[in-house]
Amino acid sequence: MRGRTRKLIDEIIEKRSGGDPTLATITRTKLILKGIDPDKFDYTTVDDPAVLQKVEQIARNTGVMS
Amino acid sequence: MKAAAGYTLQTDPVSAAGELQTKFQGFDVKAIIYFASSIYDPYLLSRAMFEKFPEAPTFGCTTAGEIVSGRILKHSISAMALSADIVEDMKIGVLKGIKGGADLESVFSSFENYFGLSMEEMDHTQYLGLILIDGLQGVEETVMEKIGDLTNVFFIGGSAGDDLKFDRTFVFADGEAYSDAAVLALMKLKCGYEIVKTQSFAILDKQLTVTKADTRNRKVIEFNHKPAAAAYAEALGEPVENIEQRFARNPVGLIIDGDPFVRSPRVVYEDGSIGFYCNILEGMELKILESTDIVRDMGNILSTKKGTGEISGVINFHCILRTLELQQKHQTEEYGLLFSDIPTAGFSTYGEQYIGHVNQTSTMLLFK
Repeated sequence: MRGRTRKLIDEIIEKRSGGDPTLATITRTKLILKGIDPDKFDYTTVDDPAVLQKVEQIARNTGVMS
Repeated sequence: MKAAAGYTLQTDPVSAAGELQTKFQGFDVKAIIYFASSIYDPYLLSRAMFEKFPEAPTFGCTTAGEIVSGRILKHSISAMALSADIVEDMKIGVLKGIKGGADLESVFSSFENYFGLSMEEMDHTQYLGLILIDGLQGVEETVMEKIGDLTNVFFIGGSAGDDLKFDRTFVFADGEAYSDAAVLALMKLKCGYEIVKTQSFAILDKQLTVTKADTRNRKVIEFNHKPAAAAYAEALGEPVENIEQRFARNPVGLIIDGDPFVRSPRVVYEDGSIGFYCNILEGMELKILESTDIVRDMGNILSTKKGTGEISGVINFHCILRTLELQQKHQTEEYGLLFSDIPTAGFSTYGEQYIGHVNQTSTMLLFK
């Protein structure tokens, strides 16, 4: 599978920031501090199952995914 | 005046609280935050502060040195009184047993019930959190991460100190003193605010990628697939046996949009791994930093901020490693004077909190 990680990262940033640019930057910073740098992923990146699982966990913890 | 700062050198907790009460007499006190040396009995001090200011929430922590307008102090208490022009309302919560995994949800529930709004819905321009946390439990990252997952409200603060004894630190809330705990104060503000995260380092073009780490114990085992100490020494061109002397001058930073989130090395272990003052994850790409001039940088920040409008008060969570650097460079007095015309209270911390947990940084809250 490709690009699922990036899509989920985008979803986290979008939903958590609600379009507020300050919050989008902060959410991105929070992800990097958790070891997920959004810039390392694009829509063609082959998904690493371990990384994807970590991002899914973040999405659950932040209420973005149930 | 929206905020008032004061200090006391009285060594008896009741007399010290009494002196602060006198200093803030006539001021419309809505909340009191205070930072106390570990020379004070924490239980007696918290009780005395609570009794002297019965009309306001009182909270604080122990320190590794205190900061007040114009002065850097030792063995004292610095305090700030916030008026109703700054704080419209405030609720304090205590996270107990943080080492074993704190129950943040129940503290957040108490905030939600009090303000009648979910933590997720709170507007970060109107609500602001302060966090003071036991500085010896090594769990700041976990707590900050959990806070950041549940809310967009910013929490800024510092890790409590104990005058470099590394024995026990305390946080205070409404007459009680706690270890293995964090105090969270959620404020609904009546004024604007700004958060400043500042560290005085140049970013060197020397990268260390974490290839093996023991995150739980804040230890990096390997950088660049080499024993951490050897890789760090190689990057600096120093023999391994000398690198601990470089730690304060050359910590490492996780660079986010050009801004370093400093991770300070603490010790070299016999197996060649390096212990840090905060955790570092495998895969992180770090840059070696080189210390510059704390006084110059802080002076520039304050003059810029003053130029954009009035600063009613500053709370400065200032890393003890910065305090030690200022002492070593004989700049302590000069640094203190930078804050002489602004009501300021703060302390030398065992770690700073803003978005996450950082080292060798000042996280500062500026009330407008």
